[in-house]
Amino acid sequence: MAEFEPKIIAFCCNWCTYAAADIAGTSRIHYPANVRIVRVMCSGMVDPIYILKAFEMGADGVLIAGCHEADCHYLNGPLKCDAMFEKIKRVVNILGLEGERLRREMIAAAEAPVFAELIEEMVKQLKKLGPSPLREGVKV
Amino acid sequence: MGFGDELIHDRELFSCLSCYACSNLCPSDVDYPVFTQKVRNLASGEGEHGDCAHSGTLLSIMRLTSRSDIKQKRLDWLDGLHTSEKSEVLYFAGCAPYFEPVFEDIEVSPVNIARNSIKVLNALGIEPMVLPNERCCGHDLLWTGDVETFKKLAQFNAQMIKESGAKKIVFSCPEGYRTFKLDYPNYVDLGCDVQHVSELLAEKIGQNGVKFKEIKKKVTYQDPCRLGRHLGIYEPPREIIKAIPGIELVEMEHSGDESICCGTSVWTNCSSYSKQIREERLLEARATGADMLITACPKCQIHFKCAMVDKGAEKGPDIKMEVMDLVNLVANAMET
Amino acid sequence: MEEIKTGVYICHCGLNIAGTVNVEEVARYAGTLPNVVVARDYRYMCSDPGQALIKDDIKNLGLNRVVVASCSPRMHEPTFRRACQDAGLNPYLFEHANIREHCSWVHDDRQIATEKAKDLVRAAVRRVFYNEPLEIKERPLNPNVLVVGGGIAGIQAALDIANGEHRVYLVEKEPAIGGHMAQLDRTFPTLDCSECILTPKMTEVGQHPFITLLAYSEVEEVAGSVGNFKVRVKKKARYVDEEKCTGCGVCEEKCPWKVDSEYEVGMGKRGVVYVPFAQAIPHVATIDKERCVYFLKGKCRACEKFCDAKAIDFEQKDEIVELEVGSIILTTGYDVFDSRRIPQYGYGRYDNVLTGLEFERMTCAAGPTGGKVLLKDGRQPESVAIIHCVGSRDENYHEYCSRVCCMYALKYAHLIKENTQAEVYQMYIDMRCFGEGFEEFYRRVCDEGVNFIRGKVAKVTDVALTEGEQGKLAVIAEDTLLGGIIRVPVDMVILCPALEARFGAEDVAKLFTINRRADGFFMERHVKLDPVATATEGVYIAGCCEGPKDIPDTVAQASAAAAKALSVISRGRVVIEPTTAQVNEVLCQACGRCEEICDFHAPKVISKDGLRVSSVDAALCKGCGACAVVCPTGAMSVRHSTREQINGMVEALLEV
Ligand SMILES: Cc1cc2nc3c(=O)[nH]c(=O)nc-3n(C[C@H](O)[C@H](O)[C@H](O)COP(=O)(O)OP(=O)(O)OC[C@H]3O[C@@H](n4cnc5c(N)ncnc54)[C@H](O)[C@@H]3O)c2cc1C
Ligand code: SF4
Repeated sequence: MAEFEPKIIAFCCNWCTYAAADIAGTSRIHYPANVRIVRVMCSGMVDPIYILKAFEMGADGVLIAGCHEADCHYLNGPLKCDAMFEKIKRVVNILGLEGERLRREMIAAAEAPVFAELIEEMVKQLKKLGPSPLREGVKV
Repeated sequence: MGFGDELIHDRELFSCLSCYACSNLCPSDVDYPVFTQKVRNLASGEGEHGDCAHSGTLLSIMRLTSRSDIKQKRLDWLDGLHTSEKSEVLYFAGCAPYFEPVFEDIEVSPVNIARNSIKVLNALGIEPMVLPNERCCGHDLLWTGDVETFKKLAQFNAQMIKESGAKKIVFSCPEGYRTFKLDYPNYVDLGCDVQHVSELLAEKIGQNGVKFKEIKKKVTYQDPCRLGRHLGIYEPPREIIKAIPGIELVEMEHSGDESICCGTSVWTNCSSYSKQIREERLLEARATGADMLITACPKCQIHFKCAMVDKGAEKGPDIKMEVMDLVNLVANAMET
Repeated sequence: MEEIKTGVYICHCGLNIAGTVNVEEVARYAGTLPNVVVARDYRYMCSDPGQALIKDDIKNLGLNRVVVASCSPRMHEPTFRRACQDAGLNPYLFEHANIREHCSWVHDDRQIATEKAKDLVRAAVRRVFYNEPLEIKERPLNPNVLVVGGGIAGIQAALDIANGEHRVYLVEKEPAIGGHMAQLDRTFPTLDCSECILTPKMTEVGQHPFITLLAYSEVEEVAGSVGNFKVRVKKKARYVDEEKCTGCGVCEEKCPWKVDSEYEVGMGKRGVVYVPFAQAIPHVATIDKERCVYFLKGKCRACEKFCDAKAIDFEQKDEIVELEVGSIILTTGYDVFDSRRIPQYGYGRYDNVLTGLEFERMTCAAGPTGGKVLLKDGRQPESVAIIHCVGSRDENYHEYCSRVCCMYALKYAHLIKENTQAEVYQMYIDMRCFGEGFEEFYRRVCDEGVNFIRGKVAKVTDVALTEGEQGKLAVIAEDTLLGGIIRVPVDMVILCPALEARFGAEDVAKLFTINRRADGFFMERHVKLDPVATATEGVYIAGCCEGPKDIPDTVAQASAAAAKALSVISRGRVVIEPTTAQVNEVLCQACGRCEEICDFHAPKVISKDGLRVSSVDAALCKGCGACAVVCPTGAMSVRHSTREQINGMVEALLEV
């Protein structure tokens, strides 16, 4: 059987982490292809439904990444994102998902290597955890 | 059935509160809510969902609990309560653990209602079972037309309950109660009794010698549609309230089978109309001069508390009022 | 509903994409997706013929949605949007899939990259299905410009704009403009006197009919957006009537209390009531309230007695000035690194360890020593060491190079040689003389017999080890050219401290909603291609607030920022981004959660036809979407980032 390849959805803010992923590209910093990036204008725009929707659709991991607090294009987006995240994290925990499956990170535009390392790390962790228990029909 | 597109794609299809106020008045006994439920099932097949409140997160959680391999961690709140592995009685906690983080900001604690339900059962000499991987009852999915997931949930629950050996299931949420009592039999065989905690209490307070301390308060009571018009349970909650010394129960202009719904249902099409209904209902409650509005449904409480949020600079009418679940009231009265 | 017809275009980007992704296969796949009527691949989609493909298909096939899979949308989204618009399609009906930066450049397995590219294309096709045409509106703009910071950068920017006959408000927090340049003596590499070139510009600012100078003032609040900013400025009380004061200086003379002069960096004194320096603009006195004996103890008022102009006014209050401007230029400059933070260099402990700025004042003819290079005891030094990179290029403090120190260090060597017989030692890490005339100046100073010692200085000490070090300071360094520790006995040490981000730069950044880099300086929109714009439309930066630089670069940037502001002005209108929040009034419950969370005051609960609903001021809305997340009913959404669009992408990405 082929090795389990986790699916990760990453919501990345336009100004910082999406740009970091762009720079990772420009600098040819390679990372695993398990991630699919969804561009959002601000991490504070990420609605909890996007996260749940991803898990409903069979994502094994979800990442919400945007600017550091001081860099926010909209002043306090990261703080608003944190508040949303605290709530949804509790919900996801009750749903029985491990902490590694839902992550919140701050990655500045200049931190392309950090982005690549993070994806590397997430893929490694998720491979160890196996498929999400919420992924219907997939047996470990 | 040959429904036209028009009906299926009409946004108002999802506005019905299924509160049964209409059937109460209907001279021909048309069961309009069930009719709506069926049409919504057709609409749902066409990708229509109405406007989801809370971005649809609550319905999504409910769907997720239907996944075969799910292993929920939903019992943290049981800490320090008396439950048992084997008992004739099973307490169905429903969505409480999930609602807890979501509605923290409007200061509603469904988990507290669940905790108090167990405390009350303990006081009646019952140490109930609670299922660690209990699935959503499916009420909201059934009423938004997602019959398929509803069936799955019903089957999971029925199987777990059978395995548990329970003889009776007790609910503090009228929606779960109604669903188990009226809808599950269409799909699964539960093989046991179901009861709302208010019925159980009304039955037992006389017998068990439960003592209440005095609570000096004037209260009014909101009949939840599922408990009242759906199942005809009007008196038990009132009997319990009246059994608490010091409490004065006053009725609102509309009460009993004329009671007005808390304004929104199944997290769908929660609109300015819904807000208006709640505003009017809360004004009615305040007009009684009561200090507190008692409900027997966590969702009524969520909806009323949410209606009171008024953070803009331009304020609405003053509809602030303390809202408390019947179970919490009883638990307070029992505390020594 | 009209039938959705989507065209999908997969770009090879030469081999940049096609080298890793099987573009033909992706195009074939795209052709099978719902609502796609045409899918093509092409060598360079951004080229004219590439864009023509899109335009022709829109016209001939009646496309009403377009997806291009190529590089990052941050690169070419505007290009393709324009192409759509040219062909009569609303630009917001375009969607970009990033299969270069996020795919072909970061993966190497052809099959895996191709599959990922298909996923990304499928997601874009799904998203574009939900895209809606958005109306791009324009509104008139206010041509006034606010310049914050009156150093050479602010002065230059203000003059460029005012000379175009547009109103400039120049806000300076100190009592007078000029910034650091006003404190310099002569400037490298030409050695022209700073005062001589700066004073005429300052005077011009003071007298310009199109410049309103608000000195001793600070910006307190900024609202609005490009074209229509509303700014609140606090004009601090000087306790001197600016209109009446003639700047004669009698008050300062008569003031019995003397304190250290900031302008002279502590090397000279000033009165508690003072005119900061001889050429100060505005040329008026200011009472230093913190230290005024009348304010502290209730007695004195000596200045008042001697002021013929009756300008002293102890009752004066801070004044709030409300400004309306269309664009803003920030020129708040830099701070000099505090050399006390490196105690081993002895600054603050040894009398004859000076900073660069102190030495500037010393060589200035109008300065505290009358332009003479003197030791504390009045003697002329026989030897001077100049230590480079104090706090710069040092991972303990600032990693960056401060860019001006090598050059002013050379300037000091030359001035010392000109004024004294002293031996001069340059203690440097690398000599960086990159600008116009810099290398030539370096050669010239080398020829003047200056000693260059390459190596980082470890310590400055007054503990003498030899006869020759007696009564002197020993500079201990590793000479990396000779390879060994050396001790150089000198009479005077001049430190070249780093230029660093101004104290309070964080607050300024917040106030104007711009970003800062990790080093604390303000961040430009693009390092190479947009160096004076910021993340906020209509807010520009110039001079040392953006990073250390010399006067020529500062002035060039200031003129660039002025040109940016002028180009906005000459367009006369601003485009209102249509990607703002919108309220579904049927769903809105007027709970005001949106009003509470918004940092830009865009949504507000209002009464409309007797009903309370939230209403969004599009001019204030930045489209961040925080309101939509907290809205309980789904009434609030952000155009072009709707829940349908994003959920749709998530679904499409995961559905196979
Ligand atoms: C020792 C030394 C020697 C130098 N010698 C040379 C040289 O020979 N040749 C050369 O080309 N360069 C030299 N430089 C560099 C030169 O000083 C700078 O290039 C130049 O001063 C930068 O000007 P600026 O306007 O950006 O900043 P600044 O001169 O720092 O001006 C900033 C102004 O903004 C004001 N301000 C700050 N914050 C606010 C606020 N919040 N609100 C309102 N106002 C505010 C400040 O009070 C100040 O007036 C030297 C630097 C040093 C340290
Ligand atoms: S948060 Fe939503 S419901 Fe509340 S006022 Fe704003 S738009 Fe209306």
